[in-house]
Amino acid sequence: MGKALDLLQGTLEMLILKAVSLGPLHGYGILLRIEQISGGQLDIQQGSLYPALYRLEHQGAIASEWGESENNRRAKYYRLTAAGKALLKTETEKWNRMAGVMAAVLRTAPEEI
Amino acid sequence: MRGAWARVTSWARAVARRGRLETEMEAELRFHRESYAEDLMRKGVAAEEAERRARAAFGPVEAHKEAMRDSLGLRWWNDAWNDARYALRQLRRSPGFAGVAVLSLALGIGANTAIFTLANRVLYLRLGVEKPESVRLLSWAGGRNVAVHSMWGDWYTSKEGNISSTSFSYPVYEYLKTHNEGLEELFAFKGIGRLNVTVKGTAEAAQAEMVSGNYYRALGVRVQAGRPIEPADDGAPGSGPVVVISDGFWERFFGRSEKAIGTVIQVNLTPMTIVGVNPPEFTGAKSAQSSPDIFLPFSMQPAAAPKTREGSLLVSKDLWWMQIMGRKRAGVSDREAGARLSVALSQAVRATMTLRKGDEAPKAVVRDGSRGLNFAGRNFLKPVAVLMTLGGLVLLLACANIANLLLARSAWRQREMSVRLALGAGRGRIVRQVLTESLVLAGLGGVAGLAAGYASQGAIPALLANAWERNDWAGGFDWRVFAFTAAVTVLTGLLFGAAPAWRAAGRSAGAGLKESAHTATRRWRGLSGKALVTFQVMLSTILVAGAVLFLRTLGALNSAPLGFNADGLVLFSVEPPAARYPAPRDVALYRRIEEALAAIPGVESATLSSVPLLADSMNNDDFVPEGQARTSDGQQVAFDNEVGANFFATMETPILAGRGFAPGDTESSLPVAVVNQALARKFFPGANPVGKAFRTHVYVSDQETLVRIVGVCGDARYAHLRDEAPPVFYSPYRQMAGEPNGMTYEVRTRLKPAALMASIRGAMRSIDRDLPLIDVRTQREQIEAGIAQERLFAELTTGFGLLALALACIGVYGVMAYTVARRTNEIGIRLALGAERRAVLWMIVREAAWIGAGGVAAGVGAAAAVMPLVRTMLYGVKPADPASLGATGVLLLGAALAAAWAPAMRAARVEPLAALRHE
Repeated sequence: MGKALDLLQGTLEMLILKAVSLGPLHGYGILLRIEQISGGQLDIQQGSLYPALYRLEHQGAIASEWGESENNRRAKYYRLTAAGKALLKTETEKWNRMAGVMAAVLRTAPEEI
Repeated sequence: MRGAWARVTSWARAVARRGRLETEMEAELRFHRESYAEDLMRKGVAAEEAERRARAAFGPVEAHKEAMRDSLGLRWWNDAWNDARYALRQLRRSPGFAGVAVLSLALGIGANTAIFTLANRVLYLRLGVEKPESVRLLSWAGGRNVAVHSMWGDWYTSKEGNISSTSFSYPVYEYLKTHNEGLEELFAFKGIGRLNVTVKGTAEAAQAEMVSGNYYRALGVRVQAGRPIEPADDGAPGSGPVVVISDGFWERFFGRSEKAIGTVIQVNLTPMTIVGVNPPEFTGAKSAQSSPDIFLPFSMQPAAAPKTREGSLLVSKDLWWMQIMGRKRAGVSDREAGARLSVALSQAVRATMTLRKGDEAPKAVVRDGSRGLNFAGRNFLKPVAVLMTLGGLVLLLACANIANLLLARSAWRQREMSVRLALGAGRGRIVRQVLTESLVLAGLGGVAGLAAGYASQGAIPALLANAWERNDWAGGFDWRVFAFTAAVTVLTGLLFGAAPAWRAAGRSAGAGLKESAHTATRRWRGLSGKALVTFQVMLSTILVAGAVLFLRTLGALNSAPLGFNADGLVLFSVEPPAARYPAPRDVALYRRIEEALAAIPGVESATLSSVPLLADSMNNDDFVPEGQARTSDGQQVAFDNEVGANFFATMETPILAGRGFAPGDTESSLPVAVVNQALARKFFPGANPVGKAFRTHVYVSDQETLVRIVGVCGDARYAHLRDEAPPVFYSPYRQMAGEPNGMTYEVRTRLKPAALMASIRGAMRSIDRDLPLIDVRTQREQIEAGIAQERLFAELTTGFGLLALALACIGVYGVMAYTVARRTNEIGIRLALGAERRAVLWMIVREAAWIGAGGVAAGVGAAAAVMPLVRTMLYGVKPADPASLGATGVLLLGAALAAAWAPAMRAARVEPLAALRHE
């Protein structure tokens, strides 16, 4: 495993949406889930997760609720809303197209131009 | 626009629960750090080390929190909050400016709030019933030949002779009710005016509304005690001797006691039982502004409110008198409903009336009934519109004034702004800061104005009511007033804040720092300041011109020759019930009262008349001079008045020819009349009417009588102070054999009315204890009530005019003071070079004169253009009266010059050396 990657602008939101799409999680749980599904390859400053969470909730993409954590403490749980689900879908499509285009562009050899 | 609503609610939640948001944020972040630390410890890291690493991995907590607040859109809120606090601090630092600004705003916004409260009450108030918006009022419209010949109620005649009215006959109502396919179930009512009511031994006059049995059910009104009037009460005539009383009546006579229910009261001597009490918000179906005192079923009309001439109105086919309502039927438009009901109305007219040749059935028109008959809306629309306009002008003037003051302030705050720009503040932030200051100022003015408006909300309706009647206009101070005041406040803030904000945005950081205060002043003062002041002078001219015209109207009305002596006259009315006083017993009663009054010590003389003077009351009948054929052109009509023998002596109206009435003019003597000069001029031009005779129907109902004219009296104003005396003939009331309609007594005394009233009441009680004294007032109060609206306008426009004058003076003073301040250098040089001080003085005064003259010219022109709109509200003065407008112009110009005098004097006293040393 090489050096962890810095996050590209705007990707943290997508990661959060993806993480909570699998079920409600608290903030720390979201961090763990992202590390788990990315195989620990992404470098996220833990605190920067929260402004992104608040922004998404502000936009109505996720909703929050206080509940009981696995270690019996009060924690704030986030879940995906219908609007969030739609947002994740369009963002995913956009990302895939972008990645495809970028990959094709970068693959181009000098003699092909 | 994705999630716009989510954002707004999320933002509002965050703002509203700011404290909780902070604790939740803290708890959430702590949970995160501690969970991470626990996980580290589980992997064997020591507790202390785990906590340190958790903190490091998390990053700066405060910065993240700030970013979280930003995410919720709170930064904007915080900035606004800080701006507002900063603005308040700024205002505290210049209390003089803040005081003048807030005071003028408070007056402007307060005046508008008070006027809007009135408008709200008059124009928007709906009936206090269930779903008022679905209530429809039935009316009819017809041409000149419409089959309706006899009406009790109001009707409107257009210029073309078309008649429309909301009155129907009872048989027509009954027919329509069973043949109605236009509206939901029809119900009916009639405001029948005053009835004599005896409650617990006290005789009173009570306003009454007669209602159909289904009225309460159809309107969805729930009584607050007892039961409503029900269909069973409205059966055969006399079957429902029950009344429902208003909340106000309950309060006044029963102190809100449950014992009221079941109490028997006399209504025109008919015993009736109180069965229920209306809720306070219900004011009947006729008007949304004030409620009748008692409600009784139509079945009681013949007993409790008889009309001797027509007999029972429930069977009268000719008299159209009652109002019909119904709720909108789903899916049927008002037009369609009117068309359907027209068919039924036409059938009803044919089925119930004997039509004369050429008679046409009227067409039914379905109208909005949510405001009842909406007299207030019809009668007060124009005065309210004029008041709103005046209020708007005053507010505009206040805005101009504050804009001027703010511009002046922004000049000396250029440096502050430039420093802030230089320190990296965004231009947008600066503009917001300046606008916030304006809005804070407007907000302070708005709060003060709302308070002023609330305090004076009763003042305007009170001015429109008369002195002796209860004024229970339901309140109009509701959310609409709040919304209006809030909107006006924000609007004014933006209006007077726009110019300073615009200027603040246009500055560059360097310019402000390099420039001195003086050069900055010159630039902004160049045109915008003077233009604003000219505008102020113009607005003030319009307002002062309005004040002058309305003051002259009031003055002309007050000095109008009455033709009688209105001082020292006490008036009251009696309306004897026909059941106890059928003709001719009514005449005997009137005589007994007349004699009893004359015997009271302190009474100089007492008389009576069927039409009280200048009380908006009138009566006219046919007048056919002997020897002339009866025509049908409507010209052989004159006003009349049935009076006591010493009417002319008591009123001090002179007899100019022949004689007045004498004790010998009795029931059995020949019918006689006294006519006024106007009648003599109209019917007997160039001849002496004394000794001539005329025919009329007034002496005996429905019967023509030949009446001899025995005298001519001077012209006395009759129904309205505004109108010259119309042709009037006076008849001795003892010779009248018609239906008793009530009489008004006029008592001349040197005593105070209150001192006299006790003996008058005592005398009346000994004659008939069930007969109430109605509308006790003096003749002066009666006349005042007739010109209450003119007085209100004179008072308000004078207040507005003075305010406008003061604001204009402040404006002129301000602009000239700045002119002098910035030209101190120049003036010093002029003086040093030998200019005379007087020349300097005139230079400044001349500049003010130009501003004043420009504003006055524009204002006089505008006033001459708009005043014709209020022509009908004026009296004795033309809308574009040159003398009034000229005086206004001179006043404004004088005020402008006076306001410029102090700055001009300061300029003339400049010491050349000091001025040159001055920066």
